[in-house]
Amino acid sequence: MSDAKAREWIDAIHQLDLPARVRVMNVCGGHERTLSMAGIRSVLPKNVEIIPGPGCPVCVCPEEDLYLAIQIALHRDATVMTFGDMLRVPTNVPRREVRTLEQARAAGAGVVPIASPSEVWEAAMQNPGERFVFFAAGFETTMAPVAARIAEGLPENVDLLISGRRTWPAVATLLEGDRAAFDGLIAPGHVAAVMGPEEWLFVSERHRIPTAVSGFRPDQLLSALHSVLRQLVEGRPVLENCYAHAVPAGGNGQARRLLDTVFEIVDAPWRGIGTLPASGYALRPNYAARDARVLHADLADESRKRMGEMPAGCGCADVVLGRIYPTECALYGTTCVPRSPVGPCMVSDEGACRIWWAGGIRSPEDLRTLHA
Amino acid sequence: MCLGVPMQIQSIEGFQAHCEAKGIERDVSLFMIQDVEVRPGDYVLVHVGYAIQKLEPEEAAATWQVLDELFESTELEEAEGRGPTDGSGGERLR
Repeated sequence: MSDAKAREWIDAIHQLDLPARVRVMNVCGGHERTLSMAGIRSVLPKNVEIIPGPGCPVCVCPEEDLYLAIQIALHRDATVMTFGDMLRVPTNVPRREVRTLEQARAAGAGVVPIASPSEVWEAAMQNPGERFVFFAAGFETTMAPVAARIAEGLPENVDLLISGRRTWPAVATLLEGDRAAFDGLIAPGHVAAVMGPEEWLFVSERHRIPTAVSGFRPDQLLSALHSVLRQLVEGRPVLENCYAHAVPAGGNGQARRLLDTVFEIVDAPWRGIGTLPASGYALRPNYAARDARVLHADLADESRKRMGEMPAGCGCADVVLGRIYPTECALYGTTCVPRSPVGPCMVSDEGACRIWWAGGIRSPEDLRTLHA
Repeated sequence: MCLGVPMQIQSIEGFQAHCEAKGIERDVSLFMIQDVEVRPGDYVLVHVGYAIQKLEPEEAAATWQVLDELFESTELEEAEGRGPTDGSGGERLR
């Protein structure tokens, strides 16, 4: 926190005449990472709470999708390629069975972690006699490149298992009901860069909750936080774009067109949370012949759709929804640690539990020292 | 995954740019920013192999400052034996 600009924002925040308790939600694992690693909570007024909300696509990837990916890897002559975070996420099958993609790989199945969709295309081109399944979970920032890669041309030997989700419908769900779970929102900068900041207008206009789009540096997050808190004090909620040089009005038109070309918007299940309206990306019907859900429907276990919860005792769904802090989960730091994670929030680099553990907030006592 | 990594463009061929950051070189797709004019020497924000926006040099440098701190703390954590024991998820650009 030596940065002069950050220090100025911290001072400005401390000068605001804030209510007794203020809860600001962020909905991006990248934001949460900066907040935790830079120790931003420790320099804020103690009545300001920053709640990590739905910012981790791997965390909400349906258990039945993960189960299907594992079954494909185990029982089909195909290699499953997926972003590295997915490999260690456990399903709910009994411990004696293969519970993760990593275990499937250890058992000899074809599972390859990737960092970019292009790696799938390269593998497919280099091995024309083999079949590949690209299992893609992600929010808009990931699904836009996935859509771009598909739109550029899908090799004959690549099939697709798509578990993409949209961010704002989850926030809309949190705002249903009588009382909002938070007083201000820090909107995700790179989602807004792709989709346009306007997606978040409903928060300030319909729900009268101050909102600011933020970048990922400590000083940028502090400026967005200041915006939200100032709006709250003034009683004039708006959507402020505090990351304007990277987030143009309307977002990235090309990326949005590509998303629309390849995917349709569907009601979609979020692990442990349930089905949220218009929250998912699904392949358009013209890709049905390459849709792993269709091709491998016989491997899917329909009963999992009802069972598709978090592992027993795991509070991940409540963490994702910002209902509890990671330190309030009974398993956090006891049976669930990064080395032997129980739930996805302790696996993914974007999971709040994983980030808090790395950032040193490891017990309820650690959290108490941050808040009044 | 939505953090993104700033990289500098070395050369461009069609929608493919050869980019560099911290001595690591990657081919990056410009497909999503084809409306934006970029040339060698410019910085782009790269997300899963795709440039999602052009960056000013100062913004790229400041973002790297944050990333350096994040990676440093992640490496420290893993060195302490608290991180994942398997490096399978470690294909991130370091």
